[in-house]
Amino acid sequence: MNTENRNFPARPPPPPFSSSPFASAPPPGVVPPQSGGPEAVGFRPPARPFTPSGPHMAQPAGVMRPAGQPPLVSQLPGSRPPPPSFPSTAYGPPGGGSFHRFPTPPPSGVPPPPQTLAGHLSPPMSFRPQQPMASVTMGPPPQSMTSGIPGGFASPSGPGFQQSMPGGPQPSYPGYPSNQVLQGPPKPFQSPSQGPPSAVSSYPPQTGGFAQHPGQQNMHPSYAPPPTSNVQGLVEDFNSLSLSNIPGSLEPGFDHTSFPRPLDGDVEPSSFAEAYPMNCHSRYLRLTTNAIPNSQSLASRWHLPLGAVVCPLAEAPEGEEVPLIDFGSSGIIRCRRCRTYVNPYVTFTDSGRKWRCNICSMLNEVPGEYFSHLDATGRRMDLDQRLELTKGSVEIIAPTEYMVRPPMPPIYFFLIDVSFSATKSGMLEVATQTIKSCLDNLPGYPRTQIGFITYDSTLHFYNMKSSLSQPQMMVVSDLDDIFVPLPDDLLVNLSESRNVVEAFLDSLPLMFQNNVNVESAFGPALKAAYMVMNQLGGKLLIFQNSLPSLGVGRLKLRGDDPRVYGTDKEYTLRVAEDTFYKQMAADCTKFQIGINVYAFSDKYTDIASLGTLAKYTGGQVYYYPGFQSSIHGDKLRHELARDLTRETAWESVMRIRCGKGIRFSSYHGNFMLRSTDLLALPAVDCDKAYAMQLTLEETLLTTQTVYFQVALLYTASCGERRIRVHTAVAPVVTDLGEMYRQADTGSIVSVYTRLAIEKTLSSKLDDARNVIQQKIVKALREYRNLNAVQHRLGSRLIYPESLKFLPLYGLAIGKSTPLQGGPADASLDERCAAGFTMMALPVKKLLKLLYPSLFRVDEWLLKPSADFDDLKDVLRRLPLAAESLDSRGLYIYDDGFRLVLWFGRMLSPDIAKNLLGADFAAELSRVTLQEQENGMSKKLMRLIKKVRENDPSYHPMCFLVRQGEQPREGFLLLRHLIEDQMGGSTSYVDWVLQLHRQIQQNA
Amino acid sequence: MVKMTLIARVTDGLPLAEGLDDGRDLPDSDMYKQQVKSLFKNLSRGHNEASRMSVETGPYIFHYIIEGRVCYLTMCDRSYPKKLAFQYLEDLKNEFERVNGPNIETAARPYAFIKFDTFIQKTKKLYQDTRTQRNIAKLNDELYEVHQIMTRNVQEVLGVGEKLDQVSEMSSRLTSESRVYADKAKDLNRQALIRKWAPVAIVLGVVFLLFWVKNKLW
Repeated sequence: MNTENRNFPARPPPPPFSSSPFASAPPPGVVPPQSGGPEAVGFRPPARPFTPSGPHMAQPAGVMRPAGQPPLVSQLPGSRPPPPSFPSTAYGPPGGGSFHRFPTPPPSGVPPPPQTLAGHLSPPMSFRPQQPMASVTMGPPPQSMTSGIPGGFASPSGPGFQQSMPGGPQPSYPGYPSNQVLQGPPKPFQSPSQGPPSAVSSYPPQTGGFAQHPGQQNMHPSYAPPPTSNVQGLVEDFNSLSLSNIPGSLEPGFDHTSFPRPLDGDVEPSSFAEAYPMNCHSRYLRLTTNAIPNSQSLASRWHLPLGAVVCPLAEAPEGEEVPLIDFGSSGIIRCRRCRTYVNPYVTFTDSGRKWRCNICSMLNEVPGEYFSHLDATGRRMDLDQRLELTKGSVEIIAPTEYMVRPPMPPIYFFLIDVSFSATKSGMLEVATQTIKSCLDNLPGYPRTQIGFITYDSTLHFYNMKSSLSQPQMMVVSDLDDIFVPLPDDLLVNLSESRNVVEAFLDSLPLMFQNNVNVESAFGPALKAAYMVMNQLGGKLLIFQNSLPSLGVGRLKLRGDDPRVYGTDKEYTLRVAEDTFYKQMAADCTKFQIGINVYAFSDKYTDIASLGTLAKYTGGQVYYYPGFQSSIHGDKLRHELARDLTRETAWESVMRIRCGKGIRFSSYHGNFMLRSTDLLALPAVDCDKAYAMQLTLEETLLTTQTVYFQVALLYTASCGERRIRVHTAVAPVVTDLGEMYRQADTGSIVSVYTRLAIEKTLSSKLDDARNVIQQKIVKALREYRNLNAVQHRLGSRLIYPESLKFLPLYGLAIGKSTPLQGGPADASLDERCAAGFTMMALPVKKLLKLLYPSLFRVDEWLLKPSADFDDLKDVLRRLPLAAESLDSRGLYIYDDGFRLVLWFGRMLSPDIAKNLLGADFAAELSRVTLQEQENGMSKKLMRLIKKVRENDPSYHPMCFLVRQGEQPREGFLLLRHLIEDQMGGSTSYVDWVLQLHRQIQQNA
Repeated sequence: MVKMTLIARVTDGLPLAEGLDDGRDLPDSDMYKQQVKSLFKNLSRGHNEASRMSVETGPYIFHYIIEGRVCYLTMCDRSYPKKLAFQYLEDLKNEFERVNGPNIETAARPYAFIKFDTFIQKTKKLYQDTRTQRNIAKLNDELYEVHQIMTRNVQEVLGVGEKLDQVSEMSSRLTSESRVYADKAKDLNRQALIRKWAPVAIVLGVVFLLFWVKNKLW
């Protein structure tokens, strides 16, 4: 394994570890936490032998340990956080914390000594070295310590951690703080020698993590270091929640504040990226587990999805843009057999004349122009100049063979509803203004083309020939036999017809100002747009305000019948009613037309049908229920502008290749599958992600590693045809535990969400939720079985460190808009719109939507300092439960789509007055947040702006709500506090208990 | 009426620009595009073609001019006046050289000047209708002579290259086959020799063996 090889050299010489010198002489190179990744591996094995001596050393002199420990601990940061993360708030209630009860003496008994030290060590040892970032297991030495004083569980890592902390950058401990629940009551955490204060001060952001439990910090000092602090039983590969009181009441049974919560957002397993630096960045491709099972039987025991989430055009931060490469006359270098693009993992042999494909291991000739000599180590001499051989993500300029026609220009076509409700709600005005303001920023100048059709009960075409001064309107009222009144000039070059287009956009709202037509000939209008566009393709933006009522594709008010809900027919409401829509979508994809649907009605508009258009053309659905320009105007303005101006890839197709023996079997997201593995995406951009699942085709994989290559062939707005290639590698493993260790929760949750939403299209909501629950139960049960042999589990819910958030996200999926509750909990349209949106969301964004952030701002607002450096402090996320809300506070809830400002009942009136101005006492539903002439308001607005800028893909709308203001409060906020029990849904605690019970049933 | 317009570099047949939405309402536009591509390939192979030529294909006709190593080609109805077609190409050429002149040689990727398509589009519209005053005037303009431009058939043009290819292919096949023949003849010779002397050799061998056995036994 190459990682191994890489790592071994890095491993410090073992001798220092094996004996006490260890303590006195920490290997110098190891101390910086950043070095965690590689070092971790090197370290581990030596650490083991060391453990026996640990107690002796540490017991007498707690002070010494820290000196020796940092190296051990320093591994943590880079890789997964170690299971025994002391911070878990659970320690709080020293006695009652049955939660982490793990080795606490009374209930679960003293740590099971049956396992002898040797017995224990051997299994871990055997597989550890294989995994590049096994740090999970790293921290605490095996449990088997005979001296295992129960209390000493997490101890060694505790102090060491603190020590190393100040030296190292905090970010490198990403997962750390999240309060995972751990087995050991880590009393030593606060060992006096280290001094609690330093611990607290050394990680401000982290403490945020546990801060959910107010006062927790204060408790620390109360932990006296137990005498033999560092003995902690075995290196557990897993975390656990002790739920021993299950049968009884919830209450003091355990401490639910210590349940794992993703308060730091999405934490990617960074050690993997470090182990394979040539892999593409995880923002482009994330596997559900970074360890591929080597056999079908192993894969079938891994009950979680095996697959990946791909976001081919994800926005890269400044300086990390994907490099553009031109192969010039040699042509693009690809494998002759499997068509893989040349990538960092191919090997050159035969003194540089041949190269071996990493995916199918075929030997290919190197074309003369691409030839380069190899140096003594077999590397190409020109490796430094060849970005495609050093970078996991590259963009290649495509030659003529990759074009069926000349690169198309960016085309934007607008299909706008101008019926009564559209003008009345102000949608028309906002939309036209926004389009006008974006004209300068549309990509692809000077080739960009633009066109418009408007419709109510008739269709209106606009001739915008550049020689005209005013657009000419043509009305077609024959809806049964649609024709296009002009051969061209309906779709015009923007730079030439700029004046006409502007004149049109200015006059459009006025033209239909007094329109009283309430009909909507949507189907015929769509057909007309299709006829205008099908020469070249492009992006079609539909602004729909009411239920399509005329011509083909007219829809019925089918959501109104309450009798359908709860029956087996319920799902039919969530799929398109008329095959017209799917057919149109298929035709549009064929002609490279991507459709985005903007829906505005406050009444039922059958988003299920309209959204089908977006689903199969790779577009997205924007839904603004009950649109009012004064309220939703900003949101529409930002999102439409984003849609129009973001970099878009046109007429694209995407394929993902993988090594022999495995195959991508299913794809989930918004696209059309053109052949078994080719995704047709007429218009794709950075905000779209696609999930896919793998199957093993061969019973046994013999290779050491598996390679994945995503290739997106597209036309850039500037008229260049390009291929974006992302390559990644993952090791093949034989051990199920390793798969769990390398699991990526974010990616798994993305796949699950998509599966669940797809499930709602063919069965009841309950079933969809149950499917997810069952899957999680199966996965955790398997994991339990895996570890039950070695450890006495008692009544603990155990889960791998990497999946500690999975149960919570599973709950969140069940409570997300597309799946939540029953028919009364969300309107059908909202459900469908959210479903279409979530199918396309990238991982980070989806996780944020599933577990939104909640933070308190009043204290920060009152602080006089105006600087923004402490922003991180402010954005300390709180658990999503009603008990996090203090009635004296002001809170912001942010799920990426909405911002809710919650004013506590006892919030000081000054704050409210400062923020809301004169009408602070009014009912908040009528108040919009505006900047007032005072520092506090400005500060808040800046904060909100910052939050919005963090993620420009959607514009979170601001809602204000006061505590106790029903039903708005429930609707806006309380319902989304997913850890609470609302209506028929379960709370986090119940959910965990439920999972636990089910896991044990057949365990 | 102009159906499609393509601009390519003669040296390597690299397409530089193409009219937008070309091939609209043309049922088999793909086939014609294919023909154009092979035409370019022929040109890039250096068959010395006239710098102005008309090539008939089915109901249409290609007109092209080659100037400054760039080929400007358009496909029109047969009824479309040749004179106008060539003037259209002249217009394109003048503008193309003005705008992209210095970069033509260095262009590396296909359709590097795709931005030119807007101009093609505009110019095309001017030439769409043969009866506009402007076009009639152009038709009557005696200064522009197109009579001497050769007209050939597309099969013929594409055939030239093909025939050459065929000949060279045939000759190479001839050499390789004759080599095979020589090898085979040698082989046959040897076989004949073996066939002739093998029985004799075997008989002799048996006899000697018998002698030897006899000697050994006694």
